[in-house]
Amino acid sequence: MMDALFSAWSTSRPLRLSDKLWRIHWPVLLTACLLAGIGTATLYSVSGGSFQPWAERHTLRFLVMLGIVVAMATVRLEVWMKLAYPAYLAALAMLALVPFAGSEALGAKRWIDIGPISFQPSELMKLALVAALARFYFQLPPEKIGKPQYVLAPLVLIGVPVFLTMQQPDLGSACLFVALGLALMFLAGVPLRYFALGGLITIASLPVIWSGMHDYQKRRVEVFINPGMDPLGSGYHITQSKIALGAGGVAGKGFMQGTQSQLDFVPEKHTDFIASIIGEEWGFKGMLVLIAIYALLILMMMIMAQRCENRFARLAIAGSATTFFLYVFFNLAMVTGLVPVVGIPLPLVSYGGTSMTTLMIGLGLAMSAYVHGRAAGR
Amino acid sequence: MTETSNGDRRQLDQFTRRSLLLGGVQAAGLGLVGWRLFDLQVMGAHRYGPLAENNRLNLQVVAPKRGRILDRSGRVLADNEQVFRVTITPAIAKNVGGVLRRVSRILPLTDDEIAKIVARARKQGRNVPTTVASDLSFEQVAHLNLAAPSLPGINTEFALRRRYLGGSALCHVVGFVGSVERFTIDDDAVARLPEMRIGKSGAELGFDGDLRGAGGTQKVEVDARGRVVRNLETVDPVAGRDVTLTIDSELQRLVGDRLQSGASAAAAVLVDIQTGGIVVMASAPGFDPGAIAGGITAADWQKLAQSEDKPLLNRAVAGQYAPGSTFVVVTALAALEAGVLSPGERIVCHGEYEYRGDVYRCSKREGHGSLSLHEAISSSCEVFFCEVAARLGIARLSAAARALGLGATWNFGLSEEKSGLVPDPDWKRGNLNSAWLGGETLLTGIGQGYVQATPLQLAVMTARIASGRSVVPQLEKRDGISGFVPLGFSEAHVDAVRQGMAAAVNEQGGSAEEAKLGAGRPVVAGKTGASKMFIGYEPAETPRYAIATVVERGNASAALLARDILNFAVDRADHAGGKSPQGGGVSPTGDDTGKAG
Repeated sequence: MMDALFSAWSTSRPLRLSDKLWRIHWPVLLTACLLAGIGTATLYSVSGGSFQPWAERHTLRFLVMLGIVVAMATVRLEVWMKLAYPAYLAALAMLALVPFAGSEALGAKRWIDIGPISFQPSELMKLALVAALARFYFQLPPEKIGKPQYVLAPLVLIGVPVFLTMQQPDLGSACLFVALGLALMFLAGVPLRYFALGGLITIASLPVIWSGMHDYQKRRVEVFINPGMDPLGSGYHITQSKIALGAGGVAGKGFMQGTQSQLDFVPEKHTDFIASIIGEEWGFKGMLVLIAIYALLILMMMIMAQRCENRFARLAIAGSATTFFLYVFFNLAMVTGLVPVVGIPLPLVSYGGTSMTTLMIGLGLAMSAYVHGRAAGR
Repeated sequence: MTETSNGDRRQLDQFTRRSLLLGGVQAAGLGLVGWRLFDLQVMGAHRYGPLAENNRLNLQVVAPKRGRILDRSGRVLADNEQVFRVTITPAIAKNVGGVLRRVSRILPLTDDEIAKIVARARKQGRNVPTTVASDLSFEQVAHLNLAAPSLPGINTEFALRRRYLGGSALCHVVGFVGSVERFTIDDDAVARLPEMRIGKSGAELGFDGDLRGAGGTQKVEVDARGRVVRNLETVDPVAGRDVTLTIDSELQRLVGDRLQSGASAAAAVLVDIQTGGIVVMASAPGFDPGAIAGGITAADWQKLAQSEDKPLLNRAVAGQYAPGSTFVVVTALAALEAGVLSPGERIVCHGEYEYRGDVYRCSKREGHGSLSLHEAISSSCEVFFCEVAARLGIARLSAAARALGLGATWNFGLSEEKSGLVPDPDWKRGNLNSAWLGGETLLTGIGQGYVQATPLQLAVMTARIASGRSVVPQLEKRDGISGFVPLGFSEAHVDAVRQGMAAAVNEQGGSAEEAKLGAGRPVVAGKTGASKMFIGYEPAETPRYAIATVVERGNASAALLARDILNFAVDRADHAGGKSPQGGGVSPTGDDTGKAG
């Protein structure tokens, strides 16, 4: 059945490698390079004008991942389609294993160690969820999309990892899964009445969710509402981050001149709170430029999705774009105190290998979809 | 393809419509963030700007003062000293070199050093303070503060540094502190402080929870130059609790010197039998704890950690040794309790013992001849105890060893504590995956083979035999320790073993004669394990101290080592006012006395 589906859209003649490279959306990759460069410059500034310990490794990591993106773009789309469900199941199995095999960091178990490598299964799940949902809707005939049982199935695909990450507990990832999954269902064409119904149910069940949260999660929400009640804990992060942003003003203090960040007032300044450094040193203007670059990247990817005929390709690209958006939005909202501290980094700018890997592999998947998901000549 | 193209077209249109909607939501989301940034950075600049620029509100975490470690009579073994250092912040100083040259009138700074500091400061951000000098005297700090108006960017600060007053003799028991390796807890601001130190070994680690205390906070207003304008609110840190050890540091220092002089690697433990208090816990070689606390270089640390004679190892609790013939007191007691041996029974030693085709040799090749238990302990006859162990079996032997404290840890405050090993068939099946052999019971019976014990365990075992009670070791001095519960062995049986141990030290030809304290001094009872080990207690009639000594390397005699340590202890007790319970050295116990003189 799959072969029949493939033949319905695949091009008449196979693409040569040079065709594939030609078909890559290079402006998107250039924008990614720009973002990684902003990351390098900021990390250089944060470490007091030094490429150590972060800026150099950040750059190298990005360049390696850029090579992987290009390599992924040349891999036929069928490969990713065949991998979608197995990858999802593998990610699910690893998520389920975390409570037993995971190592504990910062009071929550999120990491799995395999030999010398340790990684977060929840990161892998972000990719696998996009692929699995795209794969599901690829096979589902359009007239069935609105049937209740076919609405329930993707909800289960989303719900199981959400449940598992809540156990870890990793509220940030759980929220991300929900938002990502719902966005893909929306794009796939699930009738709007289901979303309205879902919204009502969520509002009604808020008290239940609150009572099911861990104490530290509740405390973070409470501290978010009233930062003064925990001036040294997560409230401190938000307060100092806000002061850093405010001190930057419109024009910023200039590169390497931010006192809030340089003087160590802002914790996690090289990872989750890196935006407050950018805001202090480059001001409101700099932040607008940064948001514009992200908006441009997401817009270009959404346009990429429109140009594909293959439904898997469309959803994979749109899913990858939405992942970017969710990271950017939640990170900036956290740094500006709009949402509680959830531990989501700023894509390609924050220091850290796991999120960089997730986002770049997502980009690679999108690029492969873009290269192979269009009819010849388009 | 043409059939589906209509549906595809509809699908694609719907996808595009929904993409536009989703894009709208995303744009709204980014717009929300942008509006928020506008609010914070443009509208709020006048509010937040001053906070960061002119009068920054700075919430500083204040590290708690670490509790002291004291010995049993209140002598300080570890406390904190204030050290001053001076830093310079380039952004405030503007001309770093010029300011430093003015500083060099107060501090001895060469032009070379100034150039180095300037170069170092240039590599960092302009707002990051660079250390100019540490370990300043109080006068230097006072001068610097006096000259402060002409020294922009210069800041003096003080930190507490751990100081060890016990020297290397107490290095293992007291241990040392080090920096926090990683932020163990998400919101633990105190652990994040660069000057925070936590226990890494010894009592510093074992009692870390008591010693550490809780951090405080200080809300201060800082001016544009980074100087504190005023304190707004202070929550004082809670200092850590002082921990008083049962160790007698004077005695331990004597013991430490004695260990260093006689052997290249050795350990000694002296336990107060009434309270279980560890009076001496010495291990050689040692190290200089002050050097570690003062900031040891990575190379020096590696040298210390990888040194072949393992100076960092506390051999008294973490050295595990085959107890050898000291273990026969366990075998003897177990056999008497099990009824497989009667106190008066005689066994003949021909110099070797044959068991299922294997031959076990006695230390005396020509044989001891006919022996009672009393004589067998006194002369340390292996053949006698091979026969006894064969009658007894491993189950009853290992049960008695455990009842006497072998194979156990007590969690009394040193996390280095090792459990040693009391082997039995279950252990062998689980760990070596093979069946227990009868010959291994014999080996265990004379303290060879798999059985292992730490010097502390041997001292506790001795204390338990001496008192007949289940003595538990203590490292922290506590008031009101009531008597330990009886072990449950028959008093007559335990006494038979004690008599054998008294004979080993005091009778003519006894194997532990070297441990005799000398005329007019308390009578010692004891047992050797070759020349490398000794266990014993004194005085024999009213036991006060139990001792175990182990010589791992070097040709010192463990019994002589124990004699000297017990002599130190007796002298110390006499100095302390003669409250010691020993009765002047005349033992009323029958024929032992006659030969002891």
